[in-house]
Amino acid sequence: MPYQEALTVLAPIRPGAEERLREALAAAAAADPPDAAMPFGRMTGVHFARLFVLDADAAPDGTPLAERLVLMSDVDAPLDRHLSELAEEGAAALDRVLRHCEGYPDPADFDGRLAYLRRHAVASAAAYVNTVGRGLDQILLEQRLRDAVEAYLDRCRDELVGSDALTVREQIRRFVAANEALRPALEPAQPPDLAFRVREAAHMVLVPAVLILLTPVLIAALPVGAVLLRLHERRDVPDERPADDAHVALLASMEDHSIQNPFVAAGPLKPGPFRRLLTTSVLWIASYAVRHVFNHADLAGVKTIHFARWVFLDGKRRVVFASNYDGSVESYMDDFIDKVWWGLNAVFSNGVGYPRTRWLFFGGARDERAFKNILRTRQAPVQAWYTAYPDLTARNVENNARFRGGLSGTMSEQEAEAWLQRL
Amino acid sequence: MAAAAVTSTSGLELDDMQGLVLRGYRRQRAACFLLYTVDEPVAARAFLTEMTPRLTTAATPPAADTALNLAVTVPGLVRLGLPARAVATCPLELREGMATPHRSRILGDLGENAPEQWRFGGPSTPPVHLMLLAYATDEVRLAPLIDELAAAAASGGASELARLETTDIGQAEHFGFHDGISQPRLEGLAGARHDENDTVRAGELVLGYPDEYGLYATRPLVEARDDPARLLPDDVEASGRHDLGRNGSYLVLRQLEQDVPAFWRYADAAAGDDGADRRTEVAAKLVGRWPSGAPLVLAAERDDPALEDRNDFRYHAADEAGLRCPIGAHIRRANPRDSLDPNPGSSASIAVSKHHRLLRRGRSYGPRITVDRALERGDGAARGLYFMCLNTNLPRQFEFVHQTWALSPKFAGLYDEPDPILTVGGSFSIPARPVRRRFTNLPRFVTVLGGAYFLLPGIRAVRYLGSMGGEPGNSSSPVGS
Repeated sequence: MPYQEALTVLAPIRPGAEERLREALAAAAAADPPDAAMPFGRMTGVHFARLFVLDADAAPDGTPLAERLVLMSDVDAPLDRHLSELAEEGAAALDRVLRHCEGYPDPADFDGRLAYLRRHAVASAAAYVNTVGRGLDQILLEQRLRDAVEAYLDRCRDELVGSDALTVREQIRRFVAANEALRPALEPAQPPDLAFRVREAAHMVLVPAVLILLTPVLIAALPVGAVLLRLHERRDVPDERPADDAHVALLASMEDHSIQNPFVAAGPLKPGPFRRLLTTSVLWIASYAVRHVFNHADLAGVKTIHFARWVFLDGKRRVVFASNYDGSVESYMDDFIDKVWWGLNAVFSNGVGYPRTRWLFFGGARDERAFKNILRTRQAPVQAWYTAYPDLTARNVENNARFRGGLSGTMSEQEAEAWLQRL
Repeated sequence: MAAAAVTSTSGLELDDMQGLVLRGYRRQRAACFLLYTVDEPVAARAFLTEMTPRLTTAATPPAADTALNLAVTVPGLVRLGLPARAVATCPLELREGMATPHRSRILGDLGENAPEQWRFGGPSTPPVHLMLLAYATDEVRLAPLIDELAAAAASGGASELARLETTDIGQAEHFGFHDGISQPRLEGLAGARHDENDTVRAGELVLGYPDEYGLYATRPLVEARDDPARLLPDDVEASGRHDLGRNGSYLVLRQLEQDVPAFWRYADAAAGDDGADRRTEVAAKLVGRWPSGAPLVLAAERDDPALEDRNDFRYHAADEAGLRCPIGAHIRRANPRDSLDPNPGSSASIAVSKHHRLLRRGRSYGPRITVDRALERGDGAARGLYFMCLNTNLPRQFEFVHQTWALSPKFAGLYDEPDPILTVGGSFSIPARPVRRRFTNLPRFVTVLGGAYFLLPGIRAVRYLGSMGGEPGNSSSPVGS
């Protein structure tokens, strides 16, 4: 099974073309069937994708931060294949929006498109994948598996009642074996290839090893950093204004059309080299954590996020955060406040206007009203969004995988009982 | 201040709170809710002034023959002449109201529930500005109160939009289940039994006090110059403004029509040939309690009146998989207690659940019907619940509970199982060994026929509203940009 890549393409918008670009995006979002305008379903392994306009902004020192067209996708590796498919399958759809962007070839051919995408692609500072190595094919297979087994149980429940759990399991295995399309599920899902696993294992070990070597330096730097941090935190100016009504209404009008929602928030970093270094460091640690610790269905207690990423832009003057999550934005924000406030604070407190933090981790998001205001204020509407499995929450995906996993191997009666409760 | 039956030990200003915040007026079995559109603001303000001393406060002894409370919508505040700069401080959801397209999506007010068909609160009926909540120990005492209020309102520049008459059908709601058992309790009230599950900080239910985060919920504030007589208390957050919200709460009203024959016929068909006990069991699985109020977690097999109305239970340790009380059951999703992340079973889980509590104050309407009668042929009568609840943060409390817990088909890891009582077309699984039983495409048991968001103001706030001298605003658009 493949691992996952987060593609971000940042395209500068041609002067004067913004209106037409927005119209093109609106048309793409409203297209029926959506496939023509948002052909991500015809490409290989695209879990989520989006196209949106990131508004112009200004850094605290007055530097203007230009507006951009942003293309993001969460996709199964290899990334090269995805780029080629975008340039090929996505040609017409991309041309319709990217022609409003500076430097896009006109007319565009495959090579021109591909070169443009590569030139404007930027790496994530950190990228979270709900479960690393779970490819789109696996997710879709396991959902078909579950649907089929649920229907089988509805049909045959009366015959199964009274049987012990292991017998029922055997019956289900036989049912699956009889269905050619589902039969692969009788084998465990394959992990990503060896090269990837070796690379990740090496990264997991080597990074702490280097940090241990650097310990004396870090210990020496820590008090200085702490003092600098507190000095900066005292100087911070939290933005206490409520979010703009019309902006919130626009966001709300785009939300909760399915059980998943896309989220984007972007904003300038607080001024100065200290905040820049701190943000870089925190995101570097976050990147390590999501690669090696929070890499299976649980982001420090939050189980509703499919994918998330942080991307620097404008020479690290601005950060954009994007995610695909389940449920309402209210529950999403509450999860932030109640479960991962410390992580949110460490990253987002480097952004202008964030509620006041203490020692980087404390305060901040726990000021519920201020946090929700700044998040809504910084949130950007996503004009066009694609999801490959709109009816599945991350918890559903995980449960499906565990159900499939239970089709193979041996089980005790008790284990089989617990396994059957997944249905 | 009159002798209070319940005394406050944490500075709750009971004599400035309307009584509904503290009690559901259980002794006043008869109730009627009157909805008004304000036509003449000057007369309406005089009407408010006349009503102010008559309002039942939280300090009023609970044994009175009658009780009276008053609530106002944001369009009502605008119509009464509250300055626009004060209106703008109301939370957005209160200004937008219940019937926006987005809110209709998250509250399930689509199709037959859509605001276009509502009897009040929707776009097809006159705007709701005021609600009078009248209670009495019996109908005989209620009738003259209603007559008197109606007359006063009529001469007070308000036209009656709806008269929501209720029926005392006892402790059970129309489907036949004891209701209103699990309620959050205000921290700091002597006499309120302390229970970790249910005790919440005052600010979760009353405006102007610290909530579970130690913060003050968004509430209407007026500029000092708009309150020259200093009728209102200072904003505790020291903004220099005066607090129109303090000791108030946000009141949610929804008319939920209940199709009792449909409910029991469905349970009966699902029970097959196994008879009345099995039918009751299916219905109890949908609800999460037995008709007596005994929770399924404690009484999994059959109703046990000894456990009637028991509320001291949790889900995780006793019933993680839902073998006793299904995960999708109505009460398990209305108050999941300790069953959700983080760390189900822990006090951290309970602490998070407590950010989403509602104080329910609803009343039933329409004649009672027995299960047998409902199964036979029904009676064609309209009945249901005037659902009412109080909270201070609508998005985090009422709307969250509705959207994320009750209506979400994905609640707690489920797939296609919205609340089986409140929604239509979903599935419902009854976990069992070796395998679950699943019902699909559930029919409609409940239809939404109206709704609105109100401010249930403190007593001083009502007096202030009555005393305002400003010109009335245009009530069409309390939402700025």
